[in-house]
Amino acid sequence: MAENSPKLQQRLKIAAYLLIAGLVLEAITLYWSSPLSFILFAAGAGTLMALGIIVYLIAIAAA
Amino acid sequence: MANHAVTILVVLSIILIGLLILRPSLTAVTGGKILAFIALFILPISALGLGSVAHLQHATSTSFCLSCHTMEAYGQSLRIDDPSYIPASHFQNNRISRNEACYTCHTNYAMFGGLKAKLGGLKHLYIYYFGTVPEKIALYEPYNNRECLHCHASARAFEESSPHKEMRDQLGSNEMSCLTCHNKIHDVQNAGQLKFWKGP
Repeated sequence: MAENSPKLQQRLKIAAYLLIAGLVLEAITLYWSSPLSFILFAAGAGTLMALGIIVYLIAIAAA
Repeated sequence: MANHAVTILVVLSIILIGLLILRPSLTAVTGGKILAFIALFILPISALGLGSVAHLQHATSTSFCLSCHTMEAYGQSLRIDDPSYIPASHFQNNRISRNEACYTCHTNYAMFGGLKAKLGGLKHLYIYYFGTVPEKIALYEPYNNRECLHCHASARAFEESSPHKEMRDQLGSNEMSCLTCHNKIHDVQNAGQLKFWKGP
């Protein structure tokens, strides 16, 4: 069975952690009805998840 | 309802991503690569999209609007104990949904409208937290009769009563504002002199 390179695995882990952080923040903001929660969702969760997706795409592109 | 769907999607995403963190060797095989694509790309994008829809839905709720201190007096004005006040009589008699009281009449303001209105809403947020809220708050544009007519148009009591039937075309084209006659609205400046209804 082929093995992933350590660099690929590291990048996938970073992407995974960023996405988990973004998803948890999104879940929290869903249960708090306020303009500030929308800002946290858009700027906070959105940024974390966007970064996670970008890191994932870079990881698979560079593999 | 949207909250539950997004929460399920978020939990599912976290579980799958967690699996990839605990078993990174999964991604060495084709099936694992597909799983990684779903968990690290498809599901997060779906969660973001559905989350945005859920947040925009929240933004239509009365509690969302009144969560800003600046809006306290406007929320109070919904309970003015005088039926000649339009927002109060609509709210107290369930002529509008109490849960979407603000949105029903202000459909193109701040979070609710198009891009320009939404950008205006973000500006409000910036001013609320980092700037100085002006003493007098006013709509950016004159109140559009559309907000009244989307409920009252084609209602018999409206269409067949005077003076509405005589000026129907002017009301429909916004040539004459409904507020010309129905001009008791929020009246927050006089809140201290008014009586309030203590109902539910």
